[in-house]
This record gives sequence, C-alpha cells and structure tokens, in this order.
Amino acid sequence: MLNKNVVEIKNLLKNFPVGGDYFTALSDVKLELEKAEFMGLVGPSGSGKTTLLNIIGGLDSPTEGNVNVLGIELGSSSHNERAHLRRRKMGFIFQSYNLLPVYSVFENVELPLILNKVDSQERKRLVNQAVEWVGLADKIDSRPAQLSGGECQRTAIARAIVHEPALILADEPTANLDAENSHQIMKIMVRLNKELETSFIFATHDEKIMAYLRRIIHLEDGQIVQDEKIENPRMGN
Amino acid sequence: MLFNLAMKNLIGAGMRTWLNVFVTAISFFMIIFISGMYDGMRSHAKQVTIDTEVAGGAYWHPEYDPLDPFSYEDAHGIPPKEINDLINNKNAFSILVSQASIYPNGRMMPVVIKGIEPEQSIINLPTQSLLKEADGLIPVLIGSGMANYTKLKVGDAFAIRWLDANRTYDADEGVIVYIMETENFKVDMGTIWIPLEQAQTMLDMKNEATYVTFSKNISKVQGKGNWIYRDVDYLMRDMEAMIEADEPNARIMYAILLSLAGMGIFNSQILSIFRRRKEIGTLMAMGMTRSRVVGLFTLEGGMNAFFSLIMVLVLGGPVFIYFALYGIPLPIDYNEMGLIMAKKLIPVYTMGLFISTTLFISFVVLVLSYMPSRRIAKMKPTDALRGKVT
Repeated sequence: MLNKNVVEIKNLLKNFPVGGDYFTALSDVKLELEKAEFMGLVGPSGSGKTTLLNIIGGLDSPTEGNVNVLGIELGSSSHNERAHLRRRKMGFIFQSYNLLPVYSVFENVELPLILNKVDSQERKRLVNQAVEWVGLADKIDSRPAQLSGGECQRTAIARAIVHEPALILADEPTANLDAENSHQIMKIMVRLNKELETSFIFATHDEKIMAYLRRIIHLEDGQIVQDEKIENPRMGN
Repeated sequence: MLFNLAMKNLIGAGMRTWLNVFVTAISFFMIIFISGMYDGMRSHAKQVTIDTEVAGGAYWHPEYDPLDPFSYEDAHGIPPKEINDLINNKNAFSILVSQASIYPNGRMMPVVIKGIEPEQSIINLPTQSLLKEADGLIPVLIGSGMANYTKLKVGDAFAIRWLDANRTYDADEGVIVYIMETENFKVDMGTIWIPLEQAQTMLDMKNEATYVTFSKNISKVQGKGNWIYRDVDYLMRDMEAMIEADEPNARIMYAILLSLAGMGIFNSQILSIFRRRKEIGTLMAMGMTRSRVVGLFTLEGGMNAFFSLIMVLVLGGPVFIYFALYGIPLPIDYNEMGLIMAKKLIPVYTMGLFISTTLFISFVVLVLSYMPSRRIAKMKPTDALRGKVT
C-alpha cells in the first residue's frame, strides 16, 4: 500500500461544531490516490472539497476514520509530525496565492527550503530551477505587489514544487485568474506532474481545470457521489 | 533560521518596521534620559551638600540638635584639645550657632546666626567676604534666597537682636557685605553668616563653638571629649531620606515610560498577528510548527526592541553626551521650593544605567512580544489561512 498509494482514506467523517450541534462536512469518504495521479475534487460550494483537501494536508483532523498520507496515519499523529510531513513531502497552492508580501519571488520560493534546512548553495540552485520551470526567471527579484495574478500563482507553484514534494494540494488555484493564465498554470502543473511524477489533488469547480484532470472525484453534501477516471483528458496531453 | 526569517520580515516591512522602532526608541530614550536626570539631581544634591555644608564630617557639641532651635542656647563650648588642634592646623573650622531676630525694613524675622571663620577654605562658601570693612557694623553674608525674601541688598543695614550666654538680650546693627549664589537652601534660607570672632564676642562665648566641621580625608580624633563625632553618612541622612522618599516617584515615572514602550510593542505585535494571520496559516501549511511560528513573532518583537536600542545609541547618544557635558537649563529656581537643584541640571549617565536599563527593557520586551504571540499556538491552520483569528 505504502509504495503505491500516496493517499488512503477509509470511512472518513468530519463534523464541525455549530452552536450546540454539529454540521457534517464529510461522511463515509473512501478514497485512494496513487503516485503521479492528477486528480480533482469537484463539487458545488459547501460540498466538502476544501475540508477534504485540508484533512489530506494535515491542516485539519478527521472526526472519525483513517487518513493515511504518504505512510503517516494523520488521525493519530501529533501537530509536529503533521507539520514535518507537510514540510518534507507536500506542497500547497492557494486560491489567493498566499505569497509573503515582503519577500521577493526568490525569497518566497526559497522559504520551504529554508524550513527544510537546505544549505544556501543548494537553495539557490533549486530556487532558480523552480523559477525556470514556471517561467519567472526575469521576475526573480520582484515582490508580489509588482506581479500580475498569473505571475503570483506561478510563484506559488514554484514555491510548492521547489522541494520536490510527493503530493501537491491545490485549492481553487485558478479561481482568481483569467482564462489564458488559468491554462498556462494548468499546463505548468501537467508538465510537473509528468516530469517529476508529483501527485496533484485539486479542489475546484472550474471547468478549465477539469479539462486537464485524469481523475475527477465528484462530491455532494460531503459524500463522494462519483469517481470518474479519464483516460484522455481534453487538455494537457 | 528563525533569525534570518525575522530579519527578512522586519527589513522587508520597510517603513512600518522603522516607525515601530522609532516610537519604541523614543520611549527607551525617555527612560534613560529621565533616569539620568534623576541620578544627576541626586548626585548634584549630594555633591552640593558636601561641598557647601558637610565637608569631611563634624564634631558636635553634645547639646546640639540642629532640628531643635531651643537647644542652641546650651549648645556651645570650647572644643577639646585634639579638635582645636585640627582647627589650628587649618584642617577644621568652628561654627557658633545662635537664635536671633533681624529687622529688615522694619519687619521682624527669626533667623539663625552662624559665626564662621572667614578665612576657612574647607567648605565652598564665600566667607572671605566677611573680612570686608563694615564701618563698625556687623558684616553679614546671606544667600540670594534670603536676600530675595528679606528684600535686602548689599550695603543695606538692619538691626539684629540676640540672646547672649548670660541669657541677656542684646542688639546691634548689621550690614550686608555679600549676597552669595548657592544651590544649598540650608545655608541660605533663614541663616545669616557673620565672622566667628564677632559672634563669640556678641554672644559672650569666647573661643567657643557649636560644632566643628573638618576637611575630607581627616580621620576621627581620639580625644574628642564628650563632643559627638558625625560622619558624612550621618550628616547626609536627611538628604538620603529625601532621595529615598523620592524613589517611588522615579519608579512611577520609569514604570509609566516602560508601560508606554511596552504597550507600543504589545500593540504592534497584536496588530502584526492580526494583519499577518494568512501568513501564519501559510507558514503552518508549509510545515512550520506552531512553536516555531510563535518563536518567529517573538523574535521579531525582540529584534524590534534591539533596533530601538541601537537607534537610541546612534541618535540619542550625541544628545546624552551633549546634556552630560553642558547640562539642561531649568526654567525655574527650584531652590526657592526647598530643593537642592542646580540652575543647569547635569544628567548622569552611567554604564550601569545603560546596562541595567537595556537588560530590563529587553526582558520586558521579550515577555511582551511573547504574550500576544502565544495566540498563534491556539490558531487552527485552516482558520489562519482563511484570515480568521481563533
């Protein structure tokens, strides 16, 4: 299982306290994700996409069930163990980029490597390589405020991949971008998925993203209603 | 790693950082400045008292109690031989004290007459002025405070009435020969200084004294008879008590300034956490542990304080040096309020003051930076990413 599956979820239940009661965000979720998959969690607002993504990323805890990510059982692991897992083996891409405004592109991309205590020479090499991948070499000293939305998201992608994680979680990565930038971003991620064999999970309801996905998990009211495998995606081949 | 990140965050925040640093630096500057002022006031008051009144110490007649004017009638006698030897060797001088009344401009005022050896040089009073020709009148030296109060000027004559050794009232006319500027109100207000020999004649107390003040570095004599040895510590005890009584004021001022600096730091930390909650969530998502995020924000607060101290040294240092050299002119004469204070206050900035203030402030700042940062430890990464503070 550990060699093949990056994510393995069984009987996942997630409740949120609301007043004196509970709101069930996810129930009876079963899911397996293999290495190098390019998968999307798709569904309307409130269907549980982001909650599931956060649980897989160890940012939130399951109420019940087993969630095994890259060999770590998240339900029984500590905050620090989950932080270690994210630091070493995961990358995050957010809808609003979440770049640190006072850092340059180089410094933003460098941050995961600093957290992983990579030495400065190697950091420089890896950052330059990641920035090349996303086509931002000419903007390396710019600050986020000087970049367009597409460039910000490409910086965020470079930051997510710079330490070559096994799994990248992307929450609505194109929601703030126009069509052209959205396609550019998706093309970059398809290429990274192929070249680095990095697994991708998207939470989205953007049709443009869906056109690139090779597997789509449809969520409704916190439950998986359809697991769709796509042999030949419309885009990205 | 945290240090590098904290440094990047502070430098990267640009003007916001420097404004915080500047405001904190002003508080630190004021803390050191006010502490230096207090130390300067105390040190000046002590030095003036020693210089103009106490010298190396004194031998008191056993009946003498400076706080009980009625004791003056009996507090006189010929000093024992060894004390007299000090006087003869110019290592000490006698002062004869008596109650009296003066009648400047027709009004009566109770005073203390102090007969002093005009040629003494042990205390810094212009007693040589008492050698001036007074046309047969009693030459009188007074302080400027006393002169203002009595409206007497140099050359003014006025009646003096006293009780002599035989308990008989006598009177004569005195003339102001000199008005001295002194910061020690105790040698000024309510005191008239006349030549010792004249006082001894007037009071019929030939060769007698009430107390004998000796120079610094003179050791205690063995044959002091029943005269009481009073060292500098004893003679300064009123001053020390005043300083001690003033200590709470200094501490309150210190606490107010420290609170202002602390509130600034606390406030900027709270704001920083509130404004940067998405950043906190991002750092957690990237695998930074909560304790490290807390450490990062605490360190940023601490470094803010450190930069403030550097700013105080760089920008405030020349100001401290200038004031320490040239003093601060005071707008009013505090001597009239019964305070021994220079017209130009010289603050005292010691290395101890800098080190203790720096260490204490650094400790307070670290605690104040840590306290708001603890909230981060309670934050859920998902809430932080949404920009919510839990």
